Amino acid sequence: MSNYILKYSRDDRVKYISHLDFMRLFHRTIRRTGMNFVFSQGFNPHPIMTVAQPLSVGVTSDCEYMKVGFDGEYSEKEIVDTINGAFPPGYKILAAKKVEGKEIDLTKLDRAVYTIELEYEGNADIDELLANDELVVMKKTKSGVKESDIRPYIYSIEKIGDENGILTLKMCIAVGSVYNLKPQSVIDAMEKYLDNFKAGFMNVHRNSMTYGNVEFL
Amino acid sequence: MITTKDKILSAVMKPTRYTGGELNSVIKNPSDVDVRFGFCFADTYEIAMSHLGLKILYHTLNDRPDTYCERVFAPWTDMEEEMKKHGMKLFALETGDEVTHFDMMGFTLQYELCYSNVVNMLNLADIPIRSKDRDESYPIICGGGPCAYNAEPVADIFDFFMMGEGEDVIHEVVDEYVKWKKSGKKNKRDYLEAIAEIEGVYVPSFYDVEYNEDNTVKSVTPNNPHAKPTVRKRIMKEFDTAYAPETIIVPFGEVVHDRVMLEVMRGCLRGCRFCQAGYIYRPLRERKADRLLGIADNLLSCSGFDEISLSSLSTSDFSGLKDLTDGLLKITEEKKIGLSLPSLRIDNFSLELMEKVQKVRKTGITFAPEAGTQRLRDVINKNINEEDIIKSTDLLFRGGWTNVKLYFMIGLPTETMEDVRGIADLAQKVLDVYFAIPKEERAKNINITVSTSSFVPKPFTAFQWAKQDTRDMLIEKQDELKGAIKSKRIRYNWHDNKTSYLEGVFARGDRRLCDVLIKAVENGCKFDGWGEHFKFDTWMQTFDELGIDPDFYTARERSYEEVLPWEHIDIGVTKNFLMRENEKAKQAVTTPNCRQQCAGCGVKSFGTGVCYE
Repeated sequence: MSNYILKYSRDDRVKYISHLDFMRLFHRTIRRTGMNFVFSQGFNPHPIMTVAQPLSVGVTSDCEYMKVGFDGEYSEKEIVDTINGAFPPGYKILAAKKVEGKEIDLTKLDRAVYTIELEYEGNADIDELLANDELVVMKKTKSGVKESDIRPYIYSIEKIGDENGILTLKMCIAVGSVYNLKPQSVIDAMEKYLDNFKAGFMNVHRNSMTYGNVEFL
Repeated sequence: MITTKDKILSAVMKPTRYTGGELNSVIKNPSDVDVRFGFCFADTYEIAMSHLGLKILYHTLNDRPDTYCERVFAPWTDMEEEMKKHGMKLFALETGDEVTHFDMMGFTLQYELCYSNVVNMLNLADIPIRSKDRDESYPIICGGGPCAYNAEPVADIFDFFMMGEGEDVIHEVVDEYVKWKKSGKKNKRDYLEAIAEIEGVYVPSFYDVEYNEDNTVKSVTPNNPHAKPTVRKRIMKEFDTAYAPETIIVPFGEVVHDRVMLEVMRGCLRGCRFCQAGYIYRPLRERKADRLLGIADNLLSCSGFDEISLSSLSTSDFSGLKDLTDGLLKITEEKKIGLSLPSLRIDNFSLELMEKVQKVRKTGITFAPEAGTQRLRDVINKNINEEDIIKSTDLLFRGGWTNVKLYFMIGLPTETMEDVRGIADLAQKVLDVYFAIPKEERAKNINITVSTSSFVPKPFTAFQWAKQDTRDMLIEKQDELKGAIKSKRIRYNWHDNKTSYLEGVFARGDRRLCDVLIKAVENGCKFDGWGEHFKFDTWMQTFDELGIDPDFYTARERSYEEVLPWEHIDIGVTKNFLMRENEKAKQAVTTPNCRQQCAGCGVKSFGTGVCYE
């Protein structure tokens, strides 16, 4: 058995696929390649695969990671080419790396950069937003919807476009098991802390996911 | 870029129902083809994508360089609202293009309760509902599938229907369309006259229906020299070698039948008298095990599905079953693929097979005795007896199964309360079988589920003349059965009789129902097959509004002399045979299956299948 870390992207064509549906899709993709998965033991054997940070429905990405076990040795290039040949249009493996043990620990991923496009009205002063010592918004956690101060988990927000009522922001915020922040919470904070700011429809794209500044692949 | 499409899709449940782009869906440049064909299924994505006919016709049409066949399904109500809000019309999944000016749209009519969705889809496409109101700029609207055999209730809507199996006839009507289009598409009538000559094609506007004073049909007469007095169904004579798709679309979301379906045979030799499928798909034709294994291997590799199921009306009657399952088990064991075997009779062979197939989990087993007493099972010619059920359940319980479902119909012709109580008795006997087995030889927690649906007489069956039980009678029978079931181990589920009633009206309906249907949709009816959307009261008000008594279609025993609205359609099975079967039913006399003895139903005239074994 050999384990691989895969980095992959998904574009507009497949961005409405849920995490569970993606798991099934990937499973079927591997079946089509003819490569052999490592199956779990037990009543209902399923392929062993872990997706690092499941993407929300509607979000595109250039930087998804998963770990998957194959029964057999494949070169990294073979993995990339074979899976890409079997993926439905819209998904693409960008890189693969064979790993031993915990040499790459995907649970360590702790920050992500997003580009968002947002319809809005009013004042979108990012400096004013970030000048706040705390930004308390209602946030969904495992134990329900709670107030949370998200300010410490916003590492940067940059305005890169603002025309025709559409704001384009690039933001670096926390992801992962310690603290997971979604761009929507940042928008919630803008609505709460900026006067006259009203958000509309938003498109989200994930550009990168790293451990500190370390890019795994 | 923020698009309207994104706004719409972000606001609905299960957006992948509407995005297209699934693996193996066909991408073409629409400007490269002569014919843009919308294959329409008037229900949700999950149901539509489980339909075998769609898989076949979609790929066979797309194999033509001159045609682009796309899928068009009914948007769920949340999507419909969003579409209306943003001024979006009904669209095809592959290109996302509006279908309003496609060349052809073909609806498969799988059940009567989808008719309101057909109308609703045309509304959403901004296409006039009635054939006579559509000029050459609109698509030709055609239909097929089991309900097309009595298409009279939707006759005003469709330009034409295809009777029987569509693999060949669909190419013939598309060929004619290409000719007509190239000649300048002057007059829709020219096209319809050309295809009316094709066997299996029924152009309803070429027939005049006259009624008697009591509203029964007096006559159905062709009004166009190109229309034949009777339209005969088409079948694939060489079914073994007939077209089977090389590829299969892999849905993103979970659909009802999320697996490869392997069509092992068409038709059924059993002759259950209530079963429309049993008559209309005659004669039984099989594929050879070798070919099936090739198809299976191919579809599994190109899709990556981890489950395959055999598709047929009665798998146990498939003569190549052992070879096929031996071969399939090799594939499924090696690739860790699930094999499901529906419509299998329980005997030692099938039990051993099931043991091999599901090594660990023992899921539920379903029996369909259909009726509670032997007398009534003889009436309906359901050749399963109590001894079979007792023997099989004994085998099952000893093999570790504990979930047994028993399917019945209530409201069958000649049924008495004794027959209804017989259902409870039979379930109790099955339970007794379980308790008669020593504790150490059976698994724990027995669970028996009794389900009843309400019998709906269908055209082209031995019971096409029969009276359908009224809703009150059905409720009385359901109550009787509830009272007769004594054990807490036996659960009882029953089917809503309101939908069965409406199904009954449309199943044997005539053209007078078209106006009711269109009006009912205006009044808000759609998704009638979905409990949460079914508006029975609105339907009844609509009947009332238009002065049509729905009981006329259900509550009446028809005489053999009456002209039935579908009599100008010829399914190969003769009216005489159906009459004989109906008379035998009244005397509770059974008819042997086709392999035991030919009953002379008439389909031998097709020159193929079990009739020539």
